[in-house]
Amino acid sequence: MLSKNLIQELTRIIGKENIRTDEEDLICYSYDATNQKFLPDAVVFPKNADEISLILKLANKEGFPVVPRGAGSGFSGGSLPVEGGVVVSLERMNKILTIDTDNLIAEVEPGVVTGEFQWAVEDLGLFYPPDPSSLKFCTIGGNVAECAGGPRAVKYGVTKDYVLGLEIVLPTGEIINTGAQTLKGVVGYDLTRLMVGSEGTLGIVTKIILKLLPLPEATKTMFAIFTDMRDAAETVSKIISSKIIPSTLEFMDRDSIKCVEDYSYIGLPYNVDALLLIEVDGDKELVENQAEAIKKICLDNGAKEIRIAVDKKEAKKLWQLRRAISPALAKLKPNKINEDIVVPRSKIQDAIIGVREIAKKHNLINANFGHAGDGNIHVNIMIDKSDKAEFLRAEKAIREIFELVLGFGGTISGEHGIGISKMPYIGMELSRSAIDVMKKIKQVLDPNEILNPGKIFPRI
Amino acid sequence: MKILEQLSQEINKCVLCGTCRSVCPTFGVINREPASARGKVALCSAFLNKEIGLSDGFIKQMNECVQCMACMTACPNDVNVPDIILAARAKIAKEKGLPFAKSFILDNILNSERLMPAVMKFASKLQGLLFKGVPEESGLHRRFHLPLIGEKRLVPPLAERFFLEGRKLTEAKGGNGEAEKRRKNLSPIRPFADSPIRIGFFAGCLINYMLPHIGEACLKVLEKAGASVIVPLNQHCCGMPALGMGDVKTAKSLAIKNLEAFEQYELDYITTACATCGDGLKRRFKELLSDEGEDVRKRVESFADKVRDITELLVNELRIQNSEFNRKSKIVNSKSEIVTYHDPCHLRRGQDIADGPREIIEISGAKLKEMRHPCRCCGLGGTFNITNYDFSMAINRSKAEDIKSTGADIVATACPGCMIQIKDGLHHLGINTKVVHVVELLADNIIKQ
Repeated sequence: MLSKNLIQELTRIIGKENIRTDEEDLICYSYDATNQKFLPDAVVFPKNADEISLILKLANKEGFPVVPRGAGSGFSGGSLPVEGGVVVSLERMNKILTIDTDNLIAEVEPGVVTGEFQWAVEDLGLFYPPDPSSLKFCTIGGNVAECAGGPRAVKYGVTKDYVLGLEIVLPTGEIINTGAQTLKGVVGYDLTRLMVGSEGTLGIVTKIILKLLPLPEATKTMFAIFTDMRDAAETVSKIISSKIIPSTLEFMDRDSIKCVEDYSYIGLPYNVDALLLIEVDGDKELVENQAEAIKKICLDNGAKEIRIAVDKKEAKKLWQLRRAISPALAKLKPNKINEDIVVPRSKIQDAIIGVREIAKKHNLINANFGHAGDGNIHVNIMIDKSDKAEFLRAEKAIREIFELVLGFGGTISGEHGIGISKMPYIGMELSRSAIDVMKKIKQVLDPNEILNPGKIFPRI
Repeated sequence: MKILEQLSQEINKCVLCGTCRSVCPTFGVINREPASARGKVALCSAFLNKEIGLSDGFIKQMNECVQCMACMTACPNDVNVPDIILAARAKIAKEKGLPFAKSFILDNILNSERLMPAVMKFASKLQGLLFKGVPEESGLHRRFHLPLIGEKRLVPPLAERFFLEGRKLTEAKGGNGEAEKRRKNLSPIRPFADSPIRIGFFAGCLINYMLPHIGEACLKVLEKAGASVIVPLNQHCCGMPALGMGDVKTAKSLAIKNLEAFEQYELDYITTACATCGDGLKRRFKELLSDEGEDVRKRVESFADKVRDITELLVNELRIQNSEFNRKSKIVNSKSEIVTYHDPCHLRRGQDIADGPREIIEISGAKLKEMRHPCRCCGLGGTFNITNYDFSMAINRSKAEDIKSTGADIVATACPGCMIQIKDGLHHLGINTKVVHVVELLADNIIKQ
């Protein structure tokens, strides 16, 4: 609980209109997409770095937690106020400051919705590729904090590949600028990279300088159906080794397909084992050629059927298939454990077989889909949280899945972050000394542990 | 109707992913979580878990929803947020009671087939004293301070002669020997020997009291399309405004009365030109009367099965696109005005109708130019516009700008509520784009023929 005096102090900094302490408001800032709830003591809506700086200085003096928040759409609990305190909502800082068409860069505030920014630059013939599936509502600030990825990562990389510089308020209240407005820049340590993906534990980002690309002239979308997952995996390798990098290379395993089919009757063949959704982009001619080449590779490697969308409308239909998975899975069981593991591309098939065996052993419902192009698999285990025994079995299975993934030389989180969801497992991937280095960095920047406490590192 | 406690499973289906933030119009204006559909569901969940009571903050959030259904369409888990919010409003109305003025109007006036027209008639006589006309606009501005009516608000005038009143006169005059019969039982205006299709027309309050010319346009087009139309004169308000305020009792009573009004006739279809009424007649009547016994359930189901939106009826059932009507219409309308179309929430999402109205625009000979976001809510939200006028107009702002940027001569839609709201919004921006119901485009052509 924050004292009355402290609330008054905060109100002086931020103005009466921009602080909320009513029960109803606190409830609305207690959750994120992990579906977990922790009530804060107050929510503030700053409009610039100066206000945030004053709040953080007060927090250091008085010792209350401060938790930054974008849209609250994260999957690892990065924006949850697990120890109470003040939620700093960046919803008001939602302006696109500049789009520089000469230098192909843009400057934005953290509360800008990723999709809206993409449409704004696309209107000018430019392209901001990172495309987390929540892009219509998540914010760029949140994307920076979690280093969000998406299907296009296979060709275009993830958020960190587009952040050139930041204005950031450090946990102790100092405002610093990192990076530069240029593509090159090596002055001092690369603090930009340190901040991107730091899950709101090392500072609150208040301005972001982003790199833009020219918008590709054309895209072509297709999907291929396989009756044996090994053929699909082989196809993925063959596409890449033939020096074609699709802008998207998504796959769905048989359980995902079956689930979608049961739920919405798309009319897929019954004995499908895997499905690839492939998109290429670039010059018109190049795209046509690549689509033809991919079609050939798919058919040569045992694809049973391949469909190429003739126009945008049909492409949208093909994508609907991919997007129908989550709602379809929700029909099976009320709760979903969604892990975003990554393995080397060549190990996808082995990883999926391994995951299925583990799920079967623990008597759990499992479906897998994801980004075959970069080895990022969304492993979904469907449970009913009210069934305690099932929940415990799922926890065991997840630990075994992570062991499997690390055995293949992979990582336990590709794009969601650690937050609180994967905190218990961080030691499986990182060595004691690596964790110590990270903790020391945190200690230097946030000596009083007021910024987003209780995240990433277990407290033991 | 399900009460809030019965919807706990629906509430738990929400996994708090936040997808609705991308489409929720109230969130779009306020840009804070409690304004979003997700926030409102979280509050209902907290209420059911007894974490909060029916506090002022809770009531405010439940009232600030336009019932546009955009959230449930976007929702990956199909959570029916509009119904959850309606149930919360019903809970509030039941526990806290409606404000006196609201409940008096709902109980005593809206629900009475004699009082409602009488009060509206009185108001229509009075309106000249309270409002002044706006030059070159078919709307009114208030003359002095009036509760609930803002200074800038453009109020559509009440019609001098209400639609149902006009119908009564037409029936009474009669043209042939059947006049007397018609006066008594309000039987069909003109049974077509070659068209056995019998249609009951449901006017709805906005068409009846404010925009009767849309009703007349519908009758004209339906007759031209070869159908015989009956307008039961003892029809009532559809009850959706009452339901929207949480007054389930009044909504139920109106549903029963309307059921009775249309059951007097043997009809093939019941049609309306109001998207909200249509959604109510098709879907809500069944829900409202679901616990009234097997007999009522059967009756309301047979009623609901007959309901078609006017655009749906013309295109899917009467198939006017294949008729002589279509060919002639195109020849008459040679000037090819550019028309943009706004999808009413309760037509597009409530009834899944998107193509029919667009086809009608094509049939009328006009050129359709889509706006960027045709499905975005106009912000009316029924009585939301009366209780939260500025908020409602703030939602409308992007719609008005979207219409403006098309450069269209006319904006057509298929709901009188949307028409009034869009007209007001365009007036605020000083834009003179004409606002019509799609059926008017066809009726205009018939006159030209």
